Amino acid sequence: MATVRGCDIPDELFYNVDSNVWASLDESGNLTIGMTSYACSLSGQIVSYTPRKVGKLVKKNKSCATVESGKWVGPVKAPVDGEVVEVNPLLETQPELINADPYGQGWIIRLRPSHWSEDVTDLISGDVALAQFDKKMEVDGFGGC
Amino acid sequence: MHAKPSTSWRLLDTGTRHAAENFAMNRAILESHQQGSSPHTLRFLGFFPAALIGFHQDVEQELNLDYIRANNIEVQRRLSGGGAIYMDELQFGWELYLNRKALASGDMAAIAKRICDTVARALQGLGVDAHFRPRNDIEVDGRKISGTGGYFDGDSFLYQGSLLVDFDMERMMRVLRIPAEKINHKSISDARQRIITLRELLADKVPDLGQVKSAIAQAIAEEFAIEWEATDSLNPAEEAIFHQALEEIDSDEWIYQHNRPVSEAPLIEDIYKAPGGLIRTTVIVDALKQRIKQLWITGDFFVIPSRLVVDLEASLRNTAITDLEKNVQAFFAQAEIEMLMLKAEDFIAAISQALAKSQ
Repeated sequence: MATVRGCDIPDELFYNVDSNVWASLDESGNLTIGMTSYACSLSGQIVSYTPRKVGKLVKKNKSCATVESGKWVGPVKAPVDGEVVEVNPLLETQPELINADPYGQGWIIRLRPSHWSEDVTDLISGDVALAQFDKKMEVDGFGGC
Repeated sequence: MHAKPSTSWRLLDTGTRHAAENFAMNRAILESHQQGSSPHTLRFLGFFPAALIGFHQDVEQELNLDYIRANNIEVQRRLSGGGAIYMDELQFGWELYLNRKALASGDMAAIAKRICDTVARALQGLGVDAHFRPRNDIEVDGRKISGTGGYFDGDSFLYQGSLLVDFDMERMMRVLRIPAEKINHKSISDARQRIITLRELLADKVPDLGQVKSAIAQAIAEEFAIEWEATDSLNPAEEAIFHQALEEIDSDEWIYQHNRPVSEAPLIEDIYKAPGGLIRTTVIVDALKQRIKQLWITGDFFVIPSRLVVDLEASLRNTAITDLEKNVQAFFAQAEIEMLMLKAEDFIAAISQALAKSQ
């Protein structure tokens, strides 16, 4: 797996670097969304998770879930427009999985993208993503995961 | 001589407001800041009597709604996290709207520390020995004088705190979910060991509110090498968002969006007999998440420093039950502590015994 400053950034995933989220399209056309390991490192141990409800439409770059760590609260932003089709049932009782396994059991939400072929052009992956994450870490003054 | 700061931030004092208005302003200023339509801002705010829960908290698990309704106290949900508090005209709030660039850091814990250190320094200037206590309190000799929390949206964030100028302890205890029969002279006195006010520290030398706010503003200006431009109203971009946000926040749908029943957060009391004395533990457990929500430890044991127990309680708040032993050991490993006939293991045993009752 590729890493940037010690943070895992799997190169097969799509990313929105500003929102610090990853996305992965499955065979049925649904998009799984999660926080990057870098986002988890910035926020610290997550203690609460509230996803938008199944059936809700979420807008690109708007909140699809809210998480809390320490006493910080913040949104996880959807990288595309879409309808919520599934929330992660494990996180209601074990929000710490977001930190422990951000690309696996700690996934945040699944959306059915409204217009994937358009929105995918806003997302990046591979070496381009790695370079942009490195730049973001520089701006954020981030020492490493 | 210091160079004159070349950067201006906004100093906004919105006076005493309903809690819904105060939190709609949180949303308005932060969203506008994120869109680039608002400057970095320090805001002072006041509340009519209100019970304020953290964003993810469940109303009925935290508050005594019968007392609240009977006493015309408002209930509101903050945008920020943390625990339930009671505020009225005897305290005020301070909040900073900045972005990660202004602090050259994206580390949320580091941001909280830098802001809290700065506000603590302002209080030191008023003759109060205030310090930041991880994760989110400003304290004086182990007693909280300011509780804080934050909300971020993209690169912009809001970090806010209360400041206890004066405080009605008994009223707070009646507002929070503490059984009425447990509120007595002794429990109020125990609670006072955890909280302190400017009034208690400075007696008749408490400066007026304007001076306290000036001290905070000045400390922040020095820390960030900026100067203030004062105003008392929102800009037009913020006003527009404010009205929409108020409609959403001033509603039962917002306030009761999290409202799991009390039965999922039992309050347990237990007494443990250790060789060094009795340890009384009261704990509220989040049964669903298997976490310690709140913890109070009292007893007739002897420890130095006496604030040790309060710090231990703070370090265990909102932690996983399965991590109890590890967390207590880590706490005792990093502190210089003198205990008579008492070991870290005694606290682990006492808390574990209470927690076992919830299973």
